[in-house]
Order: sequence, then C-alpha cells, then structure tokens
Amino acid sequence: MTVFTYLREFCRLSWLKAFFTVKTPPLTKPSYFRDFPELTGNECTHCLSCKMICPCPGAIDVVQTDGVWNPQITQGHCVRCGYCVEACPEGVLTSGDLLARKKEQGLVFAHEYIITIDTKKCMGCGNCTTACPVNREIDPHMGAGGTSLSSDVLIRVEHGKNTVKHNELCKGCKVCMDTCPNGAIHVIRNVAALQEDR
Amino acid sequence: MKKVVDVSLPVGPIHPCFKEPCRIKCETRGERVVTTEVELGYVKKGIEKIMIGRPWQETIFLAERVCGICSVVHNTVIVEALEKISGITVPRRAELLRLILNELDRIQSHLLANYSYCYTIEHETLGMYLLNLRETAMDSIEMMTGTRIMAAYVVPGGVREDLSADNAAKILEATYHIETELKRFVKMFETGPMIGLRSKGIGVLSMEDALASGVVGPTARASGLSRDARKDDPLYIEMGWHMITRTESDNYARIMLRFDELFQSLTLIRNGIAALEPGKIRNGGEMKAGRIKHTIEAPRGDLTYEIEIDSAGQVVYVSIQTPSIPNIEVATHAMMKNLASAADVTSTFISADPCIACAER
Repeated sequence: MTVFTYLREFCRLSWLKAFFTVKTPPLTKPSYFRDFPELTGNECTHCLSCKMICPCPGAIDVVQTDGVWNPQITQGHCVRCGYCVEACPEGVLTSGDLLARKKEQGLVFAHEYIITIDTKKCMGCGNCTTACPVNREIDPHMGAGGTSLSSDVLIRVEHGKNTVKHNELCKGCKVCMDTCPNGAIHVIRNVAALQEDR
Repeated sequence: MKKVVDVSLPVGPIHPCFKEPCRIKCETRGERVVTTEVELGYVKKGIEKIMIGRPWQETIFLAERVCGICSVVHNTVIVEALEKISGITVPRRAELLRLILNELDRIQSHLLANYSYCYTIEHETLGMYLLNLRETAMDSIEMMTGTRIMAAYVVPGGVREDLSADNAAKILEATYHIETELKRFVKMFETGPMIGLRSKGIGVLSMEDALASGVVGPTARASGLSRDARKDDPLYIEMGWHMITRTESDNYARIMLRFDELFQSLTLIRNGIAALEPGKIRNGGEMKAGRIKHTIEAPRGDLTYEIEIDSAGQVVYVSIQTPSIPNIEVATHAMMKNLASAADVTSTFISADPCIACAER
C-alpha cells in the first residue's frame, strides 16, 4: 500500500468522472406535501369557518385589507394540519393537494355549537344576552337586564337565570363567554368529520 | 469505611448516543458496572394537563405531540378510545387504512431504533443504511397523509383522506424495496463478528425478571414473553398477524426481533392493501359522555389512554401510560445490572428503545 496505490485508484477515468459530475439531486417538495395554507384567489365571505376549526390559538385570522376580507396565517403558530382548508366552504385556502382531494372525495366537517350554562354560577345579570350579536339583530330593544319580549332570541334571562332558547342560531363567536363575570356560560363546538356521497 | 464502589459514572444528560436528554448514573467497580439509575425530567411537556377541557379536534394534535417517532399510534389510540366511549362505528376501508398507516409507522420506528443501536455500538455504516431505508417508509407516510410526522390522519369515525389506487401501488412498491434492502442489512447484522461481540450475551433480561416487571413490546417479546396488544384485534388476526418471540433475551435478540417484526409489518401492509375495497372513509358520529381505558400496540409496546369525556366530547380526565415508562425502569434495574463494561451501558439502554419524550409526555 503506497501512495501510488491511491494515485492509481483516483486517476481512473470512471472515478474522476463520477467525482466531478455526480451530484445530489436538489431537494424538491412533493406536490402532496401539506404546507402552510395559501390563498387560491377565491372570494372570502368572512364566515370565519377556518378560524373556528383551527386547533392552534392565534394561527389564523381573517383580516380586512383595502376593503377585502382574507385569511391570514401566522406561520409560527400554524401546525399545518389543513383543517382550515377542509373547513372553508368557498375554497379560499389551499395546501398541497388537500383541496383537490377534498373536492374529489367529498370531505366535509359538520359542526354545531352547544351553549351550556352553569345555573349555580349564573346570577342573571344579562351581560351575555345584551352582548350577543345574534340577539341584537333579532331584538334591538333588548332590556339592559337581558330580558326580552321576543322568544326568537338565542338566549334571554328568565326567572333570574339565563336560558338558551334557540341553540341552532349560535355562530360561535364566544362574546358571551368573554362578558360573563362568573364564567357561567360556555360555548362548545362539536365537530364531526363526514364524507358526502360521491 | 469499606469502599463499595470505585467511581460513580454519570452518562448524559447530553450524550452523542441519545436522541433525547436523560441521565444514567452508574456505580462502577473497576470496569464493571454494578448498578444503574436513570434520571428523567429534562423534557417534561405536561400534555395531559393541557388536554383537559378541549374537544377532540384539539386533543388529537396534542396527543400526537407526545412522541415525534410514534405520533400515528398516539393519534389512533386517543381516537379509538373516544369512538369506544361514544359507540361510533368505523367503515372497513378506514380501518384498513389505519392499519396500513400504523404498520408504516412501526416500520420507520423500528428502523430508527435499530439505527440507534448500530450507531451506539459504533457500526455507523449499517446505521446509516437503515436510516436511509427509513426514508422510504417516511415517503410512503407522506404520500398517504401529506406530512412525514404528526399527520393527524385518524379522526373519530374514520380517517382524513382516502388512499388512491396509484398511491397504494407506490406503497406496495416501497414495501418490496424495503424487503429486498432489509434482507441484506439483516444478514450484515447477523453475521457481523464485531456486532456479535458487542451484542450477544450482553444486557440479558431473564424471563423471571421480565415476568416480575411490567416490561412490554419488543423488549418483552425478546425475552420470550407473549405480550402484544394486537393479539386481541380481530383485524390484525385477519390480516395474518402472529406472535413473534425470541428466547436469547440479550441485546442481539431485541434488535433481531425488531427486524423480524419489520418483515411481518411489510406482509400486513400488503395484505391490508389487497383487502382494500371501495367505500366510505368517514362516518362522523356524535360524542357521548363516558370513561374508558384503551390499549393498542405502539412500536415500543402497550400504549394505554385512560380518558374521560363529557357529553360535548371535551376531555375531563386523561392519563397516558406509555410503553417507555416500564421499559426504561426494566432497562435500568434488570438489563444494566452487573455489566462487564461501561461501554455496554449506552448500547443496552438503547436496545430497549427508550423514548424519553413518551416517558415524560
């Protein structure tokens, strides 16, 4: 084993050719890789479906710039789960081939909101009922104590306690939770992963 | 005073052989390691506490983040527990897709475990070969779910996405590639004289010690115990699963058992793909209140979730019992007892495939 052995080894044409030409192929992202959601250009209707299903606090927000609503992703918070892509009814967001798969396979997330009131904690102040944007639309003259003559409202105070009248009207904004001084009201989002018939 | 030990030798918390931080305190007499003690707590996350009060669409992401290597199985076990509480049925196609993904996950986890062992006994060439082969399994997982790890593929009532026929054919191709390559590597491991010197007869976990302790998974099966949660799963039995055990009980047996299980996983994936029939992949389903203890076989052993949810599907109580907890204890007190050399401490510990992130969750 002398230096000539090595020289002979490295002076072979095939070795030299391989040394100068073989390269590692560049790293490419496969088409199916689920990256951070991107905008497709479809019009956002500001329904907040994406924000409501997002499992990570502060990852997605729907903001208005120059009069146009669009979702905005905070990349440090997003875990790239793709729920917003699947939940958006307008196809505003896309990520990998998830949007194409969603359309092809009929993937949907059904959801409903359930309002629960802890009657032991509720003191019937009516803060939640007056703050609720759905209530305000149905009965603009709702009393300061949260009482209402209309029975079409979402929640109203009856016999000194808050009562849920029409659970199906809830949009899940959770303003009631924020305004309750006792933490008596809680809005739960129930999600079911479904597949439409193809 | 009579001197009992010569030197207390700390290994870790940062050690080139460990993927995660943990500290092994060894009491040595000369070169011989008399007893060891493992100190954990460097990467405690407190995931069980964070889960409380959250619905399933948030808890499944937290469950995955318990462990980066076997994230699929954490997702599967929490969703299956919720399904059992609520009485949700899963379409057959979705069940088979779950099986295929779980076995792909087992393949990459076992390959990583065996890579770690080869790396620890300084056989880096074989280690890198195995790590390269693992990429094939990771690519298959990515093709199926969209991400390499933390896929959140399993949801109550089914799975996230369907597997197209093209992708199924590619996964099938990948299983054949893994099998041909793996046969070479297993032969290298079996016949390597240096590997034999570092592995055979070292870190023996006797049948009595294994029975007395709560050891689970490949570590238990390498000592001759028939412990596998898959034996109670009718789908696995249907796909041709059978118990694999070895009797040598040493480091060599544990690694070889994982190699044997890899071949079995490849067969299970092929049978699963062959049994796929067109159909729905999601059923949805409503959550009901209840409490359950559910166990399935993770790559490292029995993974148990004890979970209680309220009528809206929010977690009231959760306790995650991961296989690494008993395995680390057994590795410390039974396997690393009276070792001939301090150099065998790390290799014996790694041969039990300890996952610190799982143990500290």
